[in-house]
Amino acid sequence: MRLNNLITNKLAIKHKKEFGKLENCYSGKKKILSISLAILMIFFIINLIPKASALGITPGRTTIEFEAGLEKEIAFDVLNNEHKHMKVTLFSTMQDDLNGSINLFEDSIEFLPSEEKKSLRYKLKLPEELEPGLHVGEIVAVEIPTSTGKDTFVGATVAVISQLHIYVPCPGKCIESDLEVLDAETNGTATFIVPVISRGKLGIGEVRAIIDIYKLGEKITTLETDAQPLESGKRTELSAKWSVDAPAGDYLAKVSVFYDGESKSFEKYFTVGLKTLTIESILVKDFRLGEIAKLQILVENRWNQELKNVFANLLVYNEQEQVMADVKSATENIPALNKKELVAYWDTVGVEEGEYNGKLMVKYGEKSTDKNLILKISEGSLDITGVGYAIRQSGGKGINMTTILLVLVIILIIANLAWFVFFKRFIGKKETKSSGRVIRA
Amino acid sequence: MEEKINIEIKKKRKMNKHIKIIALQIVFLAVVFFAVYAIYPKTSVKISGNAVSFNSNNAEVIIISENPDFSNPRYLDIEKNTSIILKPGTYYWKPSNNYIEGLKNEFTIETEVGMKIERENESELVNVGNVKINVTRSKSGMMVGHIILEPNASKKIEDKGEYAGRQI
Repeated sequence: MRLNNLITNKLAIKHKKEFGKLENCYSGKKKILSISLAILMIFFIINLIPKASALGITPGRTTIEFEAGLEKEIAFDVLNNEHKHMKVTLFSTMQDDLNGSINLFEDSIEFLPSEEKKSLRYKLKLPEELEPGLHVGEIVAVEIPTSTGKDTFVGATVAVISQLHIYVPCPGKCIESDLEVLDAETNGTATFIVPVISRGKLGIGEVRAIIDIYKLGEKITTLETDAQPLESGKRTELSAKWSVDAPAGDYLAKVSVFYDGESKSFEKYFTVGLKTLTIESILVKDFRLGEIAKLQILVENRWNQELKNVFANLLVYNEQEQVMADVKSATENIPALNKKELVAYWDTVGVEEGEYNGKLMVKYGEKSTDKNLILKISEGSLDITGVGYAIRQSGGKGINMTTILLVLVIILIIANLAWFVFFKRFIGKKETKSSGRVIRA
Repeated sequence: MEEKINIEIKKKRKMNKHIKIIALQIVFLAVVFFAVYAIYPKTSVKISGNAVSFNSNNAEVIIISENPDFSNPRYLDIEKNTSIILKPGTYYWKPSNNYIEGLKNEFTIETEVGMKIERENESELVNVGNVKINVTRSKSGMMVGHIILEPNASKKIEDKGEYAGRQI
């Protein structure tokens, strides 16, 4: 705001000088005057536009399986991310065959700065019949531009959408599939996961996939996943491992999913890398509790390409495991194979001495390098200790509860059977004998 | 009369034997349940945005999968308190130590579509949600283009018209 006023004033002065120089030229003067007024008007309007427009909605998507005549209320939240006074209008859109299926209980809402979200509901009423396949509906939340008196808002408006996906099963067998590649690092073992969802009325006896990996149009290797049965409407995951003996870079995976004599193919790009980004150290100098702490986070880009828009995000949790501080650094570009310091500032006003759990995430694109931390805070020092966690592909050697219950049931059955046999053979006979003796006597 | 009394006594003896066996089984079950309860990996979970925190005193590993049948599980080593960032979705998990693998639990990380227009020198559209979004730009009700944005990604935009974001 202050910057815009300054620019406006400077422009006004500049144009005033120009105006003075050209005072003998009447037509030129008129022209300049009108240009100056136009520029002043633009800056005046810019000052009216809010510095930020933000809106959120959750869930981004609700998925339901079609049921004839289903009536259901579905919840969603509209988020006031910026904690500002804001009006939001709501409406729904649906495909032709679903017209009138969604009824919103409210068509506009108003946020106070203190309100972070509003929980809302809409009623869904499905028809008796729908064509097989995916049917999409949308709940749209639009921020209503604010206007004060005769001044009107001219900036862009933001709308966020919560989708409703209704799946109507196809008559036979059909699937929906995707590919996820985990741990794709040179000299490591990558895991290829093909999630498959059965979207047909019939279950699938066996589903499996073949993945061909290409680099610049040349096939590198072929992987075959395990095979799984798949019930109608259910989801499973097929997986395959690849010992990555190829250099870092972008690869193409061509996936063919085979299910009971039918197949579906799709392609997806993935990246093989070296361990891309590592958190080297976290340094806090001259810490004073109650003041703003400067966190210097040293990260190393081990990738052979520049990483853009890298930033650090530190979360500090209180005893109730709620986030009590959410600190972000500015974004930086880190050149290939280089180290860079990311600086974040944490306002420790109101923070008490003690030990806190924290999490440091260094984000780049959609990836993130994370580190669990313990923060020991005292009046004059902040000690940060990394805890670290590992995600493994195997583990968990304990006996599962089903096995325990099964063993218990078996033990009890055996014990009772043994008792029954023992009783019949020995005690029963003994007593019959003795009772016989009694009778004879 | 004496015979009747004898038969009654024998019946009582039989019954006592059965009761003893049933009592033994109850004691055995109680001991087993107490032992299982004592060594069961008791774990709590808390979700804050995309961060999931597991808290346990006696669990060593969390087995986590996106499938209820635990196909393709991942194993997360846990200390007393461990947090992990997960993408939105429904997850199935069970705690484990060297003795017992716990019961199946589940949690959902909801998708959030969020957008922000930052107006400094230039206007920038930022994806502040937790999913990849497709942003359609409309002018006077007509769609004039679209932008794909990853979470936390941003793009310079013309500050006019309407930007509508939906999950991809």
